[in-house]
Amino acid sequence: MEIKIALAGNPNCGKTTLFNDLTGSTQYVGNWPGVTVEKKEGRLKGHKEVIIQDLPGIYSLSPYTMEEVVSRNYLVNEKPDAIINIIDGTNIERNLYLTTQILDLHIPTVIAVNMYDLVKKNGDRIDLKKLAGELGCPVIPISALRKEGGSELVEMAIDLAKKHQKAEAPHVLNGSVEHAIAHIEESISPFVEKNNLRWYAIKLFERDEKVIEELNLDAPLMKHLDMHIQDCEKEMDDDAESIITNQRYAYIQNVVDDTVHMKRARGNMTLSDRIDRVVTNRWFALPIFAVVMFLMYYISVSTVGTWATDWTNDKLFGEYITNAATAGLQAIGSPAWLESLIVGGLIGGVGTVLGFVPQMVLIFIFMAILEDSGYMARVAFIMDRVFRRFGLSGKSFVPILIGTGCGVPAIMATRTIENERDRRMTIMLCTYLPCGAKLTIIGIIVSTFFPGSMFIAPSMYFLGIAVIVLAGIALKKVGYFAGDPAPFVMELPAYHMPTVKGVAIHTWDRAKHFMIKAGTIIFSITVVLWFLQTFNFRLQMVDMDQSMLASIGHALHWIFVPLGFGSWKGTVAAISAFVAKEQATSTLALLGGFSETSSAGMHAIFAGAGVPSATLAAFSFLIFNLFDPPCLVAMVTAFREQGQARWGWYTVGFQFLVGFMMSFITYQMGAWLIYGVSFGIGQAAALVVIAFIVYSVVRKPSKGKADRLPDGQPAVK
Amino acid sequence: MLPISMMNPGETARIKKITGSDKVRQHLSELGCVVDGEVTLVSRNGGNVILQVKDSRVALDSSMANRIQV
Repeated sequence: MEIKIALAGNPNCGKTTLFNDLTGSTQYVGNWPGVTVEKKEGRLKGHKEVIIQDLPGIYSLSPYTMEEVVSRNYLVNEKPDAIINIIDGTNIERNLYLTTQILDLHIPTVIAVNMYDLVKKNGDRIDLKKLAGELGCPVIPISALRKEGGSELVEMAIDLAKKHQKAEAPHVLNGSVEHAIAHIEESISPFVEKNNLRWYAIKLFERDEKVIEELNLDAPLMKHLDMHIQDCEKEMDDDAESIITNQRYAYIQNVVDDTVHMKRARGNMTLSDRIDRVVTNRWFALPIFAVVMFLMYYISVSTVGTWATDWTNDKLFGEYITNAATAGLQAIGSPAWLESLIVGGLIGGVGTVLGFVPQMVLIFIFMAILEDSGYMARVAFIMDRVFRRFGLSGKSFVPILIGTGCGVPAIMATRTIENERDRRMTIMLCTYLPCGAKLTIIGIIVSTFFPGSMFIAPSMYFLGIAVIVLAGIALKKVGYFAGDPAPFVMELPAYHMPTVKGVAIHTWDRAKHFMIKAGTIIFSITVVLWFLQTFNFRLQMVDMDQSMLASIGHALHWIFVPLGFGSWKGTVAAISAFVAKEQATSTLALLGGFSETSSAGMHAIFAGAGVPSATLAAFSFLIFNLFDPPCLVAMVTAFREQGQARWGWYTVGFQFLVGFMMSFITYQMGAWLIYGVSFGIGQAAALVVIAFIVYSVVRKPSKGKADRLPDGQPAVK
Repeated sequence: MLPISMMNPGETARIKKITGSDKVRQHLSELGCVVDGEVTLVSRNGGNVILQVKDSRVALDSSMANRIQV
């Protein structure tokens, strides 16, 4: 028989770390709340019949954000056989708030006090036996990070699940509240399952909208219940929901006073607090953040990363492997087409993409350090002040920052945003900072057209932020998005010294994904492109200008002529990039024969008839690829996360428009202002586009739904 | 009573009142901000604040911070 055990607890309390330990999987772990946004399932190591369910973190069973709904629905409706409630031993009081609610569910529960090693290190003492006695369920100390206590914990949970030994709910509520709840229980007992009775009674008392809707009790009964609730409210001089909250905390206060002995007095500044006083200080916060970001890109893209990438591209792939492969293939007398496929197609195309791995690894290392240390959550806080002016909450900045690694997890991370309008908008904007794959395009364009330039790469990131801000302002003026962003409320994790192992795992996770993609998707597409560029429609090997690919490029090149890279090669590169951004790099290398020493082929791609400068066209190509819709996988993810196809199309359409307009302005205005092309229809059109952008940003907001009450508006009390 | 954002960094006080819609107050209470609970102001950035409450740190924007009176 299968046994389902759910891991439940506050955000960032170590559920996923424990899940990985128990199941041997390698789910993503990070030091900020909201890393896990979907429930994940795994089988217990050594016990294949036991399924462990990792749930997104929740603060209570009254969900506030989208991913919290996932957890509540699972716990309440699907009923696991047992719950492991993980609580952070360094923050027992707050964590027990959820525990008192879980215990109302009548599901066998074990409590795991996590970070017990830290508790001991701090010199605090927790009387676990007493705690177990008070709460009516077993309490086991663990350290998920150090893999201590996990097996004992899970055996206890399996045991409880087999015996169906339900938690004995402690007496949290008292006096007239308990009285009213008992009344409610009695009245609704015919309508709900016995095990859920208490939970539903409490929720009805709190007037939980979703539960009222779900039970759909008849009006006279509801009125009867409401009388009991109102009596209680009158007696306690408070609203029902607050009464329950206060009694829960009062109960917890008693339990904690009896069982936890803290060495450190409350109110003293911890190390994290002292760091926060500097890092989030009103004067230093933004400069510190700007320096951190600049260093991150300066080191990983402009300097150290470029040296490493130059070596891999020019020496490793450009000379050693190419020469060895050529010599080897000639030695065995392979046909010319095979040599062309392997040396020109695969080593030139896929190899160039892989050549950028060092830059990417460096970026990933920096990102892992930002995440693991706890700084990422602070960035959201710091940026909130800035973003709020543009109508976005600081919470939107976390997905944007994650987007510098990859857009797909960035879109997923928007689930922690509680307000639907903010969330939809963030999905549209969070892929505008260059991701790892776009980095390769920056790399190949910079090293060919701007060799030695240290500032193009970091400035692309600052341009990305500018685009997000301006696009954000423009979107906010559209009726649907109008209104204040949701209030910013976020728990900040304690700072941790990032461990070498943790950073290495995160970096490897991301780099591995990239390399697998290079070996599969990019490999296949490069082979197809090579085939199309080597043969004509009669399958004769021809010069690439007579190939099938050239015909396809010629058929579509009109789209990109206004952007400056309307040669058939530029067209093919831009279109292939919609599959994956690094495909653009591979395609350019394939069609242009990329190497540091001979950039003639690359220049030829962008130097078309009527183009004043290949450099300008290449730069325009770069801008287009940074701001047009991201890769296929990210687009599919955006469609899924937007929920409605209509919104998926809005997202992709908006991104195409932004990419196209920016590239168009860059090329047309650049040609006129820098390269002295005489003012013509293109420039006039570019000025119109600029006027349109300025208008979208500065116009008065549409009325739309702006007059409705934004979430969190103070109610009249 | 004064809004929590008026406190100085390092100061500790007891929460006297929390205003705002039920949903907001509910979420604040889940994070540990309840009437009669102790809070310490860790940092202030414009009107945004970081609070230490029940051994965790909670970041709030100014509109939220103004709802907590001490």
